[in-house]
Amino acid sequence: MSEMKKIKNLKEFSTSADRFEGANLLCPGCAHSIIVREVLNATNDDLILSASTGCLEVCTAVYPYTSWDASWIHIGFENGSTAVAGAETMYKALKKKGRLKQPERNPKFVSFAGDGASYDIGFQWISGCMERGHNIMHIVLDNEVYANTGGQRSSSTPIGSSATTSPEGRRSYGEKRNKKDMISIMASHHIPYAAQVAPNKWKDLVKKIQHGFSVDGPVFINAVSPCTTEWKFDPKDTMHLADLATDSLVFPLYEIIDGHELNITYRPKDLVPVEEYLAAQGRFKHLFKDEYKYLIKEWQERVDANWAYLNRREEARV
Amino acid sequence: MANKGWDEFEIGAMLRTFNGKIDDIVGTHQENRAYSENSSFVASVADWRINKPVFNKDFCIDCQFCWVYCPDVSIISRDKKMIGVDMDHCKGCGVCVEVCPTNPKSLLMFPEKADEETELAAWPAKNEEKK
Amino acid sequence: MAFDKMELQKIEVWDGNRAAAQALRQSQVDVVAAYPITPSTPIVEGYAKFLADGYIEGEYVMVESEHAAMSGCVGAAAAGGRVATATSSQGFALMVEVLYQASGMRLPIVLNVANRALAAPLNVNGDHSDMYLGRDSGWIQLDAFCPQDVYDLNFIAFKVSEDHDVRLPCMVHQDGFMTSHTAQGVHTLTDDEAYGFIGEYKPMNDMLDFEHPVTHGVQTEEDWHFEHKARQHNDLMVKVIPKIQAAFDDFEKLSGRKYNMVESYDMSDADICVVCMGTSVETAREVATEMRAKGIKAGVVGIRVIRPIPFFEIAEALKGVKAIAALDRSSPNGAAGMLFNEIAGCLFNTDTKALLSGYVYGLGGRDLTKAHLVSLFTELQKNVDAGKVTTPLQQFIGVRGPKLSFL
Repeated sequence: MSEMKKIKNLKEFSTSADRFEGANLLCPGCAHSIIVREVLNATNDDLILSASTGCLEVCTAVYPYTSWDASWIHIGFENGSTAVAGAETMYKALKKKGRLKQPERNPKFVSFAGDGASYDIGFQWISGCMERGHNIMHIVLDNEVYANTGGQRSSSTPIGSSATTSPEGRRSYGEKRNKKDMISIMASHHIPYAAQVAPNKWKDLVKKIQHGFSVDGPVFINAVSPCTTEWKFDPKDTMHLADLATDSLVFPLYEIIDGHELNITYRPKDLVPVEEYLAAQGRFKHLFKDEYKYLIKEWQERVDANWAYLNRREEARV
Repeated sequence: MANKGWDEFEIGAMLRTFNGKIDDIVGTHQENRAYSENSSFVASVADWRINKPVFNKDFCIDCQFCWVYCPDVSIISRDKKMIGVDMDHCKGCGVCVEVCPTNPKSLLMFPEKADEETELAAWPAKNEEKK
Repeated sequence: MAFDKMELQKIEVWDGNRAAAQALRQSQVDVVAAYPITPSTPIVEGYAKFLADGYIEGEYVMVESEHAAMSGCVGAAAAGGRVATATSSQGFALMVEVLYQASGMRLPIVLNVANRALAAPLNVNGDHSDMYLGRDSGWIQLDAFCPQDVYDLNFIAFKVSEDHDVRLPCMVHQDGFMTSHTAQGVHTLTDDEAYGFIGEYKPMNDMLDFEHPVTHGVQTEEDWHFEHKARQHNDLMVKVIPKIQAAFDDFEKLSGRKYNMVESYDMSDADICVVCMGTSVETAREVATEMRAKGIKAGVVGIRVIRPIPFFEIAEALKGVKAIAALDRSSPNGAAGMLFNEIAGCLFNTDTKALLSGYVYGLGGRDLTKAHLVSLFTELQKNVDAGKVTTPLQQFIGVRGPKLSFL
């Protein structure tokens, strides 16, 4: 086992030498790269990375440029998890056979994918990787929409959001279905670690990533990634949106250990009404019409119920 | 990189980040790495900017919020000190200004063509109404 | 060594699947990521048993689909080691997306394909639909006619595919059931001979070299895509055939068994010939010999290397012949057969003005009988005698109902 990188505070964290480069093609204010930086800087170990097709992938490896300073692979939309699992399997094989070029290294295998590539098209591949117990970490950059292709709904798109394939209109308030509970599904694979993180809570994120790197077996991380383009807010407000997401409990921060032990890792001191979170984004603008205001109330009730559920699970220690 | 012909690049559209070997990447900051012509580090997105951040070190407390929340690896921090903004990689999103906690802020956005010296000379005073 | 070698008889009685599994074992593959599908399943089952019995040191992952199998193979190959898998039919079809990615990323992977029909309607038996589906995928495709070929061609596949001048994945095709499940005598190599022939895997652009990070699987648009595809096609067209030839030559020195891009049988003075693939080659050879006894100068051309197509070798093999039958074991679904078109292309600008006719046969495992071939050769002779093709250019043989012919 390699030594865990010591990160006491932000000043210490800021001494990290980034392994992700600028002049990538992500939108100004994109949270993806903030999350990626926090993840990569959480460890000093070598990294083998993958990305499934999506914003992160198409914006960081457009020939003849790469924004990655560690080995990185992209195959397709659905199979980024399996790509890195394949590399991890080769690592095990070569280790056993004594053919690693730098046998003293302790690489970490990380797969990045969007919510579409994880909740929808890559679901089976991720489930397979979790079930087989690969030593990999799959990180969802969850912006609740197919942002790379212009804003189509995914099964992570929440109720009332206007996406291009579930648009609001004269007779519709947009997306009709609730977001898939991916973390529970992944935790049900009885993997050693599953967690939800947010870029604004960098310390919580780093701690979870470090824990994820320390366990033996697959890890699933869902990271809320406010999308300036599809959530429709000013690029400068990315971190404000992340704050609203965590402090309204729309994205509660918690972890599930060994598939059952749930810990809430962040309890907002000043709870933000869900309405404020919704009001900050163009994708929910129509909900503020009189006829749809009931949906805002339902949103709050749903978030409250989920928070109560998480608290019950934490208390029960099961 | 120039638009090479079909026989002039490595097979498989594979890209190498560095020229030669890199020994201790986490112990080597950007300025000391031998990036290849294929690393986006050598490219610039400066022309994306409409507004640019100007850094006023007089008010900076080196909290590093701007460093951690910069999406574009454009806040240059060395030895726990904020040094400045990498203007080749900054896209002008303004996140650094929003997360800056000082009063007045140590980073402010100005139009791309604004003169930095002039803006620094006219930096706003402490806002007493803010907490 | 943390694994045991296996003592093989000089001749083992193996079906094609067993031969493939043994070849994979002897090649000391580092990672096999696989998903079972009839009729290729016994390859990965056999491999699993070798692992369970301690004859394999590499890693073996049973994934949740063929798409994931090839995805895992791509990740493993990019990481830097010897990689192989097996599939058939629907599994092959599910893999197709990743087949293109594997070849475009220039990763050496050996894929054993026990050829099988494609649904609908669902069918588990052998035809060449899956093989044909792969022919534009940028892979090298070798075709085995019998279990011996399966065994030998696997070694050829690793050697060519992993060559740093090639770095292209390679399929070894065998007929589902007819080869995959039919046991025959297979001359073996010892474990040391087999491994010595392929040699140690030599990594290239390997992700696991932490001192030289690489980016695999980039995006290229209109400014770069064409050049990369052109490069891949160039390497397939120019580099692969000589490497296969060199591997065939080396293999002949080692084993005494000689392989050719195009396997000609009794072609030196043939007036008529059949061009086909898979087990049909052996049947056709038997019938050709019988035709010769009747005074008809018949020959057979078996296509050993499907991609890259041995264009000039095919033209050379067919240059003296007067009438040719192209036998396609896949429904062309609205066109002339693949072999018909390939042969026409190979011969069109040559002096050979042979009469070419196409036959579609054996779909979904339907037998190609000797009687079919006798009447086929007889038709070809009629064409020669008449100086023109006397039948429609495309005929279906062995199908019930009114005679089907087109063109």
